[in-house]
Amino acid sequence: MKFVVCVKQVASLDEEFELLEGGGVDSDFVEWELNEWDTFSLEAALALRESGEGEGGEVVAVTVGEQEAEEALLACLARGADRAVRVWDESLQGADPLAVARVLAAVVERESPDLVFCGVQSSDAVTGSTGTALAGYLDMARVAVVTALSYDAPSSTLTVDRELESGLVEVVRIGLPALLTIQTGINEPRYATLRAIKQAREKPLVTYGLEDVGLDAGAVGVAAGAHTIELQTPERGAGAQLLDGSPAEVAARIVEIVQERMSG
Amino acid sequence: MPGGGTLLQAAVKTRPVFWHLSVGLKIAWYALAVVSVLVFLYGVARPFYKWSRGRGGPWPPYPWRELPARLWRGLQSLLSHRTIARRDRLAGWAHRGIFYGWIVLFAGTVVLGFNTDFTKPVFGLDYFHGNFYLGYKEVLNVLGTVLIAGVLVMMFRRGVLRPRKLDYTRPDRAPGEVHLERRTYRVGDWAFISILLVIALTGFVLEGVRIAMSHPGYGGTQFGGWVVAQALSGVSSATLGGVRHGLWWFHGLLAIAFVASIPYTKAGHMITSYLSLSLRDPLAGKRLAVIPPERASAPAGYGQLQDFSPLHLLQIDACTKCGRCHEACPANATGRPLSPRDVVLELHEQSNVAIGGVLGGLMAGRLDGGGAQDDAVVGQDGVRTETVWSCMQCNACVEACPVGIEQAPIINQLRRRLVEEGELDPNVQSVLQTIHKSGNSFGERNRRRGRWTEELDFDVKDARREPVEVLWFVGDYASFDPRSQRVSRTLARLLDRAGVEFGILYDGERNSGNDVRRVGEEGLFEDLAEHNIAAISECEFQRIMTSDPHSLNTLRNEYPVLGADWQVLHHAELLLELILAGRLDVGGRLSYRTTYHDPCYLGRHNGVYEAPRQILRELGCTLLEMPRNRSNSFCCGAGGGRIWIPDEPGQERPAENRIREAVALQAVELFVVSCPKDVTMFEDAIKTSGNAERIELRELTELVEEALLPAEVAATT
Repeated sequence: MKFVVCVKQVASLDEEFELLEGGGVDSDFVEWELNEWDTFSLEAALALRESGEGEGGEVVAVTVGEQEAEEALLACLARGADRAVRVWDESLQGADPLAVARVLAAVVERESPDLVFCGVQSSDAVTGSTGTALAGYLDMARVAVVTALSYDAPSSTLTVDRELESGLVEVVRIGLPALLTIQTGINEPRYATLRAIKQAREKPLVTYGLEDVGLDAGAVGVAAGAHTIELQTPERGAGAQLLDGSPAEVAARIVEIVQERMSG
Repeated sequence: MPGGGTLLQAAVKTRPVFWHLSVGLKIAWYALAVVSVLVFLYGVARPFYKWSRGRGGPWPPYPWRELPARLWRGLQSLLSHRTIARRDRLAGWAHRGIFYGWIVLFAGTVVLGFNTDFTKPVFGLDYFHGNFYLGYKEVLNVLGTVLIAGVLVMMFRRGVLRPRKLDYTRPDRAPGEVHLERRTYRVGDWAFISILLVIALTGFVLEGVRIAMSHPGYGGTQFGGWVVAQALSGVSSATLGGVRHGLWWFHGLLAIAFVASIPYTKAGHMITSYLSLSLRDPLAGKRLAVIPPERASAPAGYGQLQDFSPLHLLQIDACTKCGRCHEACPANATGRPLSPRDVVLELHEQSNVAIGGVLGGLMAGRLDGGGAQDDAVVGQDGVRTETVWSCMQCNACVEACPVGIEQAPIINQLRRRLVEEGELDPNVQSVLQTIHKSGNSFGERNRRRGRWTEELDFDVKDARREPVEVLWFVGDYASFDPRSQRVSRTLARLLDRAGVEFGILYDGERNSGNDVRRVGEEGLFEDLAEHNIAAISECEFQRIMTSDPHSLNTLRNEYPVLGADWQVLHHAELLLELILAGRLDVGGRLSYRTTYHDPCYLGRHNGVYEAPRQILRELGCTLLEMPRNRSNSFCCGAGGGRIWIPDEPGQERPAENRIREAVALQAVELFVVSCPKDVTMFEDAIKTSGNAERIELRELTELVEEALLPAEVAATT
C-alpha cells in the first residue's frame, strides 16, 4: 500500500508579539514547527504500514512551502516516512487553502496512493479546509475529523470513527482510495530523536516547481484566491469583570456573584 | 617416604603429607586435582570470550600497557579493603577475615604442594619440617581461625541481623511473579559460606586427630588442632585412624571441588570483582560515553547484550549482591520499581543464558554469536521500562559499589535505546521537543533568557560583547524559574558588590544538556553542547561559574571530551573564595541552626563538599549533618530527567523523604541548598510533607547576602 501524508510547517506565536503593517507578524516572535495535527496523521499512516495489513507500504510526506518547510519534512522522515516531496513557487506566498489543495492534488495524482492523510486543520491558519478541498479536487471519497481507524485487508475497506458535535461518533466504512483528515488524540505520535532527524537527511527529498507538477502560477497564485489584507488584535470587550485578592477572597466573591445571578 | 611412622614424626618436626595412602589412591588424588584446575581455568577463561564480544566499546577496555598499573591499583584497593569496608565496617572486617584467611590457607596448600611435588622430588630439597613447619602451622592456625571468625560473623549478619540490603526481594516484580525473591541466590550464598566453614573446620579436626594419635609434643603451636585433640583424648587409635582417612578425603575432595566451582558460583567474584575494581572508571556517571563515529548509524545505546561495552559486560558479571546500591538508591528507598542491584543481576542472568551452560555453550555452538545475545534486554521478562525510567541518575549506586560497577551509566545506555524506540514518558518527549525548539526546558523564547537581570539596578554584562573575568553560565532553572531568578539576582548583587567583572551569554546560552543526556537523548545533547561550546568559545573570560550543579557537571566533565578546555566553578566555590579574600565581609553575623543538602551533581559528581560547609561556618551558622551526607547524600528526585516526569500520586517523593531526615535533627531551622532544582523540589516538599512550621529553605547565596546586609535584606525580599 502507498500512503501520502500532507503536512504543513506552521508558525507558533510567542505570548507577546508585534504585528507588521500589511498583515503579518514580526518574524522575531515566530517559531516554526510541524503542525500538531499532522504529527497524528503521519503516525496514523506509519502505524497502518507497520500493522500486519499495510505492511511493506510506502509513506510519502508532501508539503507546499518554502525552503524552511523542509524541517517539517525532515521531522516526518525521521519518524519513519520513506521519502518526501516539497512544492514551491514564489507565487504561492500567502496562497489560500484552495490553492494549496490544488497543488497538493497535482502531487497526489502523480503518486496515486491508496490512502491520503491530512490533519483536520493547521494550528496557524485554522481553516480546516485544505484536506476536504484536496479530496474534492481529486474526486476522492473522504472522511473528515477521524478519531479511530481500522483496515480490513480482504475487503480493502476502512472502518473509521468520525467525531461529530455533542460527543456523537459516526462510524463509516469506506473503500480505497480515500482521504482522511485526522483529529488529534487518535494515537500517540512517536518521538524523533535528533540523531534520527540528522540521519533523515540521507532519505530522498525532492523539490518541485509548479511547472514540474503541471500547474501554472496564474491558476494557484495569490491573485487566484483569497488573501490576508490585515491582522488586528481584537477590541477589548466590556463584559468582563476582573477579581483581585487572595484565592480565598476571589472564591468568596465568585460564590457571591453566582448566588446573585441565580436568585436574580 | 609416603607414610612416616609415629616415632619418626616425634623426632623430626613435620607431618606426613599422604598418610597411609596407596599409590592408586595417590594417583586418583592427583588426577582429581588436575581436573579441578582444568575446570577452574575453563571457567575463568570462558567469560573473557563473552566480554570481548561486546560491540559497544573497546576490547580490552583500556590499552594493554595500562593493565599492570590498573591491576596494581586494584590490588591495593583489595588488600586495604578500602571500598569493601566503606559504609559497612562489620562486613569490612568479616570480609577481611575471610579474604586473608582464604588467601593464606590456599597459599599454604600451594607451599606444601611445591615442596611435595617439586622441590623434594626434583631437587631433593624438603623444607617442610623443623622451624619452618612449626611457623607454617602457626600462621595457618591463626589465619584459619580468622577465616572461621569471618564466616561466622557473615552468617550472624545474614541469619540474625538481616540488613535490608541483603533482602533479595525485587522491587521491580510484584508478589507472585517468578524470581521475586531469588531463592536460588539465598541458597547459593549460604552454600558458599557454609562450604568455606566446613573446609576450614575439617582442616582443624584433621589436625586434631593427628595430634591425638601421634602426641608430637608441640601441640601448643597448633592450638586449633590441639583444642580438638583434647576433646578426642579418650578415643581409641583405631577409630581415630578410620576417622582420619575419611576426613582426609572429605576435606580434600571438598577443597578441590570448591576450587573447580569458583568461576561458576558466587565465589567467582574473587576474579570478576577484582577485575572490575581494577578497571573502574573514576569518571563513571560523571562523564557519560559518547557515541563513537563508527557506531554513528547503529541504533544508540543498549538494546541487546551484544550492544554492551566489554567493560559493562564484565561489570554485570562482577556483582556480589552486597546490596549497597540497593540501599543507597533513592528510587528504591521511596518505593519505585527500581533497584540498581536487580538491574545488574537481571542483566547478569541474561548474559549467562546468552553464553549457554558450562560446556553447553561449546556443544551448542553458541559461541559463534547466536544464542540469546539478540534478545531485547528491556521488556516485561527483563529489565522493565518503568524500572529504567525510575532512575534519577544521581550516581549513588556507582558511588556505593565496592567493585566499580557502573549501574547508572548502564541504565543511561538502556534509556538511549528506549528514547530511540519512542518508549519514553510523553511529558519527557514534549520537554525534549521544547528544548530542541526553544533551547530551554521551560518553553520560553530563548531571547527572554536574560530577562531576570532587568530588575537589578545595574546592568549585567553581555559576555559576547565585552571581556569578563567570570563568565556565568546561568542554566535553565536559574534563568527562568521565578523562585530561582530571585537567587540569581542575589548572586549577581553579591558578585557586583565584591567587584567581580562578570557577564552572561544572554540568548547565546542553551540548556547545557546534562539532563537531556541523562534522559538518553544523546543527539540533542550533542547539538546543545556544540552550540554552547561555540558560543562560549567566542567570549573572552578567565573562568566559568555556574549556578546549577547539573550544568557544572556537564561543562566541567563532559564538554572537554568535545573539545572544550575551561576552568569551571560552582558559585559556592567562587563565593567562598571572595569571602576568604575579604571581598565579601560576612563576619559570622548569622546564628541559624542549619543543615546542608549536598546536590548530587555538586557533591558526588564533582567532589565539592567543603566549600558550602565552610561558607556556612564563615557566616556563623551552626551546621548539623543529616545522616546521609556528602557522598551518601540523598537525591531530591529531580535528576536524570525525573523532574519532568510526574510522580504517581500517593507515593512518597524522594524530596519528602529527605525533609523528614532533616527535621529529625535537633532544633534545625534552615534547610540550605545550592542547586536551583533543589530550591524547587525542597520548597515544595517542605509544604507537602507538612513541615512548613518546622523548617525553612534557603539557597546558600541568600544566606550570604543576609549576613552582609541584615537590615536591607528584610526590605528587599
